[in-house]
Amino acid sequence: MVEVTRERIVADLEKIFNETMGDWEYSGEITPETRLFADLGLESIDIVALGGAIEGHYRRNFPFAQWLGQMRDQQVDDIRVKDVIQFLHDNLGGSSVGERQ
Amino acid sequence: MTERVVLLGLDGGTFSTLDPLMEEGVMPFLKEFLASGVRGELLSVIPPLTPPGWASLVTGRTPGNHGVLDFFRFESPDSRYIRLVNSRDVKCETIWSIISRQGLKATVLNFPLMTPPRPISGYAVPGWAPWRYLRRLCSPRELYDKIKTVPGFNVQDLAMDLELEGKAIEGSSKEEYEDWIRLHIRREKQWFEILRYLMQEDPCNLTAVLFDGVDKLQHLLWRFIDPAYVPAHPSAWEQRIRDLCLDYFRQLDGLIAETVAMAGPEASVFLASDHGFGPSTEVFYLNAWLHRQGYLEWATKAPEDTSAVGKLGLDMTSRWSFMVDWSRTTAYGLTPSSNGLHIAVAGRRVQRGIDPKEYERVRSILMDQLGQLTDPATGGRVVSQIWTREEAFAGTQMEMAPDLTLSLRDGGFVSILKSDVVLKPRPEVVGTHRPEGVFMAKGPGIRQGLSLPALSLTDVAPTLLYTLGLPVPRDLEGRVAEQIFESASLHRRPIDVGEPTQVPEAFPQWPDHREDQEGEARVLERLKQLGYVE
Repeated sequence: MVEVTRERIVADLEKIFNETMGDWEYSGEITPETRLFADLGLESIDIVALGGAIEGHYRRNFPFAQWLGQMRDQQVDDIRVKDVIQFLHDNLGGSSVGERQ
Repeated sequence: MTERVVLLGLDGGTFSTLDPLMEEGVMPFLKEFLASGVRGELLSVIPPLTPPGWASLVTGRTPGNHGVLDFFRFESPDSRYIRLVNSRDVKCETIWSIISRQGLKATVLNFPLMTPPRPISGYAVPGWAPWRYLRRLCSPRELYDKIKTVPGFNVQDLAMDLELEGKAIEGSSKEEYEDWIRLHIRREKQWFEILRYLMQEDPCNLTAVLFDGVDKLQHLLWRFIDPAYVPAHPSAWEQRIRDLCLDYFRQLDGLIAETVAMAGPEASVFLASDHGFGPSTEVFYLNAWLHRQGYLEWATKAPEDTSAVGKLGLDMTSRWSFMVDWSRTTAYGLTPSSNGLHIAVAGRRVQRGIDPKEYERVRSILMDQLGQLTDPATGGRVVSQIWTREEAFAGTQMEMAPDLTLSLRDGGFVSILKSDVVLKPRPEVVGTHRPEGVFMAKGPGIRQGLSLPALSLTDVAPTLLYTLGLPVPRDLEGRVAEQIFESASLHRRPIDVGEPTQVPEAFPQWPDHREDQEGEARVLERLKQLGYVE
């Protein structure tokens, strides 16, 4: 059983992005501050696909709809990579080993 | 009997559109096909909608069992947040999986509910896939690099665009019509080119492709397609749009002809649609009506539809939860596409709501009130039929279903938006779904020139399995359409009822998901450089 630390989540996300980004118009590095809409140019359907890929990777469901809905209601206009990491970390109940402050 | 079968899906295909096109000479191949094959209406499910329709066709099961009830579903049984349905929501085994288990191969192109990809023996390029993720969603993954070489390949034309999907339902500016039609002609050609590539490279036992422009054009441009609405004296622009629509169907006819030719005379070819089509002339604001009846209270920030054309609110579904004051709402329509009405029961997705003991009484009152709802202008009843969840969605997945499902007098979808009117006539007729889809078949052992009584969508999967020479799992709800086959053919090879289907795994393990320890170490090193990890 592999412990789902923040490091692990970051590595997993990187892997998922790398599997698809060869076809994208984005050529920069993806960092914790990278915005999914403004920087990567993603659309809402891409976020759905990203969620599906993440769920497939961890082989479990996450409450993405609730999370995204609440962000929209709070008028958060973009999602940063670090927000996704935090969301996954919260839901996976991972340890704080390697966590950045 | 043959073991080579082709299934051509026509999303929203309906004889009320196709028959005139065949008679006018726009679809000569389809006319010839039917002269030497069989035809019949294919009755859709409740509601007659793309996701539950295709899910029923490919599983042979009803929505209450396969679990796909709408474009959307609650995120979990106790959540009021909704998300788009995906392949993991199909709780019954698909025909692609059934034949794969029995050693046959399938090519599946542009069908919905294929993402995330499921294990399949053969090839799948999913429909409803965003272009940025199409590579990851093809099966096998190497397939993407192969189809990229197909002439005319343009992934952005091929893949799903939510904005375009919305335009089909909510309308677009008239200046966009021509580009819209041309896009769908290009899309169908691209899917056909991929089909041709795979049929030539590695022919499979079952080859299936879905042409979805039929649905999109009929939604937006019904008044240019249905002869009853085509202007008697069209302007030059109206004639141009009409001609372009006819060109779409003419070219589609050509693609069908080429596919049948490629399959060869030994193949059995089936054409089927998930639902039919017809005109919609008005918008019924379900939640505005519920508000007037005292069942629903709007949140202060809920936007109001003041448009002349009447909007359904498709783009508001994801934020619907925030348009309602849940402390004062006891019934609500959640999505336009479902035509469903949910009752807020305390403890079920909402903290407040009606007492569970009151459920039957409240639902019965709502049914009476909706049944009595009349158009003040004409006195006509607005709601033509109402189903309870037990009637429409009996099965293992019923708990996720709306408490009531409505059929409106014009066959249209409800609007979920706030409005100061309950009923709004549409300034121009649009297309909307009908239960009567199409079924056509031709091939060895299939009767010729026969017009059948209506079949059910759930009959298609068992009929395809029988044609492929496979046993029909005993738990399918549909049955083999025996009447399409010559009696000698049925006598030679009787229907074999076999083992039940297998319940799909929610998260199947894929070989390429195995951990690559060495690769992971490299990734971690790079992440440190980027500042993700210390």
